[in-house]
Formats: sequence, structure tokens, C-alpha cells
Amino acid sequence: MKKGQFNFVWLFAIIAGGVILFLAVYGAVKTGDSARFQSDSEIAKSISVITDPLQAGFSEGSFGKISFREETRINNICFSGEFGKNDISVATRSSVGEEWNLPGGTTSIHNKYIFSSGKSSGKDYYVFSKPFNFPYKVADLIFLTPDNYCFFNAPDEIANEIIGLNTPNIEIENCTLINAINVCFGNGDDCDVVVYGACGNGCDSIYDEGTVVKGSDDMKYVGNLMYAAIFSDRLIYNCNVERLMYRNGKIAEEFSEKADLLDARNCNTNMKPDLIVWSDLTINASADDLMLLRTMADNIENKNNRELCGIWE
Amino acid sequence: MTLSFLEKKKFPRSRKNFNSLASLKGQMKIQQMAFMIVAVFFFFVLVGLFFLEIQFKDIKSGAAQLQKDQAISSLKVIADMPELNYNSRESMMIDEDKLKIISGSFGLDYDLFWPVASVGIYKIYPAFNEIKKCPGLGCNFYEIYNSEQKNVKTYSTYVSICKKMKEYGSVYDRCEVGKLVVGVKIYEE
Repeated sequence: MKKGQFNFVWLFAIIAGGVILFLAVYGAVKTGDSARFQSDSEIAKSISVITDPLQAGFSEGSFGKISFREETRINNICFSGEFGKNDISVATRSSVGEEWNLPGGTTSIHNKYIFSSGKSSGKDYYVFSKPFNFPYKVADLIFLTPDNYCFFNAPDEIANEIIGLNTPNIEIENCTLINAINVCFGNGDDCDVVVYGACGNGCDSIYDEGTVVKGSDDMKYVGNLMYAAIFSDRLIYNCNVERLMYRNGKIAEEFSEKADLLDARNCNTNMKPDLIVWSDLTINASADDLMLLRTMADNIENKNNRELCGIWE
Repeated sequence: MTLSFLEKKKFPRSRKNFNSLASLKGQMKIQQMAFMIVAVFFFFVLVGLFFLEIQFKDIKSGAAQLQKDQAISSLKVIADMPELNYNSRESMMIDEDKLKIISGSFGLDYDLFWPVASVGIYKIYPAFNEIKKCPGLGCNFYEIYNSEQKNVKTYSTYVSICKKMKEYGSVYDRCEVGKLVVGVKIYEE
């Protein structure tokens, strides 16, 4: 056998072997990527499913914990405009190259209001929920966070609510949690988030309405939206509040039609004009309008309570 | 074996023949290798296809399971929605007035809102032989949402369908037995 022939055979074998090896490695990587994408997409969809029973419903609140095997990033993109949606996607930590793998498929959630950071990462996520009434029940607010929180100077009503929820990631006053975000009510030292109450009359607490200040961002809130402002980014908060207000307006429209049906059965109610005005005011409202709308919400609620045939209970 | 046979019988040993014999031997080796490579390649392609088939089956069953879970967990969420719920302090009670409104043109705005393929509520007492869609006299079925998908698998739960009545100056709740039915969203290919 000639030397050239020997080299050619080897060269051929090396090239062919190399191609096969390359294809095998490429295939394995792609398959791994597909499996990861599948798993991340399933997790995103699962978040939508497992938050169903975690909604507050008729209780004052509910709490749950989602634990992942490895550190996981949850992306939350909010879209306003009519009912809007929360797009949830999940990414796992990468061991090579970029810190995080590309996120899996996105799950769009139209009927829930998930308040979280745009991008949050951790192994354990705490999910809890509070109802949002304005003046009637509009929806359950879902808070999703992997972070620990210490509440300082919280009024008794809020402290009792937090103790009642039994969330291990939130402590009141003597805080032992590590890397915790400090939330101060009124004033305090070393505060990451400050809640300023502004409720003057007809309130259980001064913090029934007010402003949450986070760095340079300030977010107006009423009622349980205070928690939403504490646990989420400004963008997510404003977007979800717009979605909630749109839904509020649609419910008011439905209620005004219900008033006609009650009237037709001699169960008369005078709520219709108020509900029409309320619907017009809320359907395009934003977070900045909340405090102005609260007085009217209280008036409508009082009026409904006085009715023999109330529209809601 | 074949090559040595060819060497002995057909090609007498000479310088010229030796060269062509060596070239033929090389070509044969390349052919053998090429066939082998093609065979190995096809083998891996078949293994890959088999693996992908299992993967896709997994994805399909996983997606179906998630949709089923979503539908079951949605039953309570839908029944307790403020747009349908009768009394905000009671679970699984549907307001008949709200049902009438949302099953009409008002409900069209909610088309994208539902996490399931279909939502409907039957009045199940008194028992009926045929489904009569509401509104209508003696109707027994309110169709709230239908995505028009075929082969929808349904899940249901019992609910109370109530409305506020006023008779002889007093107000009371009149309730009937109903069944909330939601369909699983199956993505059509």
C-alpha cells in the first residue's frame, strides 16, 4: 500500500468520523435544549394551574410555596389593554456561557393578576393571594416572590394579616430572615420600601390607601393593592392595576344590566345610574386614579348596602 | 478474501497491474467505509426518530394532562368569578341574572378571558330530555363561552343557581340545582 493511499483512507475516516461525532454532539445538545424547553414550558403552565387553588376566593387570604429542584428564573410580562394578560415564562440556570438559559414557552394568563418582579430568581417561591374589592369583589390578587421581607412599624391590622397568612418569608419587627428586603410603614432606618398611608376618613387604618415608595418609583394604592405594590415592579403593578380597573368597569356594566332584571321582578334598585358612572370612570383608570376613585367606591358600597335588593353582597 | 482472489486469478503480478490493483483495493475500502457510514448514519437517524417519537408522545400527554388539570381547577375559579357568583361570601353559587347577561352579547367581550375551551351551565332539576338553550321559555342551558373546537372533553361540578326574589314585601333567594360544565382546550392540528 502506498503512503498516499494510506493517508487518504485515514483522512476519509477522520473526516467521516468527525462529521458523525459532530452530528451526534449537535443532536445531543439540541435534544437537551428541547427537553429543557419542554420542561420549562411545562413549569410555566403549571404555575398557571397551581395558582388556581391558591387564589383567596372567599377567605381573607391564602398562602402556598413552589419549590424547584434548581435555581429558576420566572419572567412575568404584563400586557394591559382590555382584560390584558400576564405572560409567564421560566428559565433555568445555565452551567456554560450565559448565566441563564433561554426561557421556555410562554403561558398567557388572562384571568389572573400576578404581581411579581419582571424577572425573579430563586429555588423557593412564595405565592399568596388577597382579594381586591373596589367596592365589590373584582378579582384575587396573586403575589409571587422568592424574596424575604421584614415589615417594620406595621400597624396592628397589617401585622395580624401577615401573621394570619403564616408566610415564612415575611417577618414583623424582630427580623431573623437573611438578605431580607426592609419594608417600613411611615418612617424607619435602612428601608428598601416605604409605605406612606394617606387615608383620612372612613378607614380602618391610615394605610387603607396611600403610596408605596421603592427607590425612585412611587405607586399609589388602595386596599390590598398595597401588597401588590410592595411585591412587584412598578411596570407590572401599573399594568395589572389597569387590567383590574378594566375588569372593574366591565363588572359595573354587568351589574347595571342586572339592576334592570331586578327591577323587572319588582325587586327595585336605584343603583343603575351610579354603576353606569362608575363603569365609565374605572374602565380606563390607572393606578394614579385609585385614591380619587376610592371615595366614590365607598359611597356606592354604602348605597348598595342600604338597598333591599342590593346588586352585590 | 475477494481482493486476494482477484489478485491471483484476473491480474497477473506486474508493475502496472499492481498499481491498478492497489487503486481498486483503496476504492473498495472507501466503498466499504461509505456503506458503513451510510448504515451507521441511518441507524442513528432511526434511533433519533424513535427517541423523538417517544419525546413527542411525552409532550402530547404532558400537555393534555396540564389542560385537564387546568379545566378541573378552573371549575371553582369560574364558579366564584364576580361575573357569575351570586353571593361574594358563598362558594359555588351562580347568579341567574348574571348568567342571563353573560350568556348574551355581553359575554362576547370575555372570549379571550376563559382558560378553557367551553363554559356552560345546565339546570338539572327538573330532569330534561332535550337541551333548550337560553334565553327561551323552559330553557335549561346557558352557553357562556364556546371556542367551537371539536372533540372537547368536558368536566363538571354541581352548583346552585340563585336569584333574588321579592314577594309580599320580603326579599328571598330562590335557588335551583345546576351543573357547571367546562371543556378542555385541545389544540387542533
